[in-house]
Amino acid sequence: MFYLIVCRGLTQAQRAAAVLERSGVNQRILRTPSQVSERGCSYSVKIAHKSLNTALSALRRAGLSPTQIFLAQSDGSYREAVL
Amino acid sequence: MIFLDCAATSLQKPPAVARAVSEALRTAASPGRGSYAAAERAAELVYQCRSEAAGLFGVSDPERVVLTHSATHALNLALRSLGAGGGRVVLSGWEHNAVTRTLADLPLEQDVVAAPLFRPEELVEGFRRRLEGAAFAVCTQVSNVFGYVLPLSDIAALCREAGVPLVVDASQGAGCLPLNLEALGAQYAALPGHKGLYGPQGTGLLLCAPEARPAALLTGGTGSESLLQTMPDFLPDRLEPGTHNVCGAAGLLAGLRFVKRTGCGSILRHEQTLRRRMAQLLSNVEGIRLFESPDPALQTGVLSLTVQDVDCEALGERLGRMGVCVRAGLHCAPLAHQSAGTLDSGTLRLSFSAFNRASELAPAAEALRRCVEALRSGARG
Repeated sequence: MFYLIVCRGLTQAQRAAAVLERSGVNQRILRTPSQVSERGCSYSVKIAHKSLNTALSALRRAGLSPTQIFLAQSDGSYREAVL
Repeated sequence: MIFLDCAATSLQKPPAVARAVSEALRTAASPGRGSYAAAERAAELVYQCRSEAAGLFGVSDPERVVLTHSATHALNLALRSLGAGGGRVVLSGWEHNAVTRTLADLPLEQDVVAAPLFRPEELVEGFRRRLEGAAFAVCTQVSNVFGYVLPLSDIAALCREAGVPLVVDASQGAGCLPLNLEALGAQYAALPGHKGLYGPQGTGLLLCAPEARPAALLTGGTGSESLLQTMPDFLPDRLEPGTHNVCGAAGLLAGLRFVKRTGCGSILRHEQTLRRRMAQLLSNVEGIRLFESPDPALQTGVLSLTVQDVDCEALGERLGRMGVCVRAGLHCAPLAHQSAGTLDSGTLRLSFSAFNRASELAPAAEALRRCVEALRSGARG
């Protein structure tokens, strides 16, 4: 189980990844899956399910607001997380 | 060859710059266009370049560091964003054509603050009198012709007080003078990558304030929001359509790291020392006029000069044939020459970088002396 933090662009995703790395959150940048990408191409940061709260706190402190967050389901689909 | 045209471009670069460019050429694809290793490598290089620049120049968010082709490109983005609606723009009398030609292409009234060379107090006073009601202001950090360090902090403070957005042309100051966009409260700063930052030609940076809302100059693919037929409304994507100059960014990153490691202050002191020694060596050339500040802190490593009855272009051309590389003429800055009273003659400009050595000074000075003598005897003959 993992979360996708959807970012508006690559640079924001890179910045988010750098913030999370400094906060000890394992992450990986990937292209947002087309099924959740509303406006076409974008980038997301993938984090483990257990890291969400730490990640959101770190991003908030850095002034970063993700576009959306999705939880990956076991069947390969995504469900938007309501925060 | 003795290269003394570093205000145009720093020909001599740290070796790491060439290595970085070469490695990027071989290993980096296009950022934001794929999920494979070469695309990720490119994305990482570009992001590191933004982050390094953000750290050096007081931008708290690397997203507000835009990669451009040059400082001219960056200035076009800034000036066209602020000037499209018209109004009055206040600018110093030391601006380059990158500023003045762009302003002339916009529906703006140019209000030039004319103040004598190396007289910063008068320049500040001129800005103070003119800022009220201005649409925005433009100030170069350093005159490209005379190395004159303008009182940017004071002018920025006046702009903040008056609520007037400020555009800084840091073409000659970046890499040798401190620049902190957010501390200045400037709206934009434009920097070339290939001068004092020691990156390759074809690189530049636009630093944007948090409140800046720049307009796109070019449109096209950004690897983001591809379904939309408008440019993204966020930075840097809004201003960076098309494939990035990844090799340039890699080289610029190496240059930025060199500047950070060496220190702006150390680079400035070195260049100023060379400039002062060169001025001493040339001071007894008959008919020479050296444009030097009485206060050494007001001048970088740029020395302009004229020689009575000697055409500066002919002198520059002859020096070039002797392997001494300098720049002559108006240096794309007729406004600065008008301010200094050298519009008719132009000047010969010697400009130093971190890579010039004291041992180059005497041969260059001797070459200049011989060129002057040859041109004078030719004129007499």
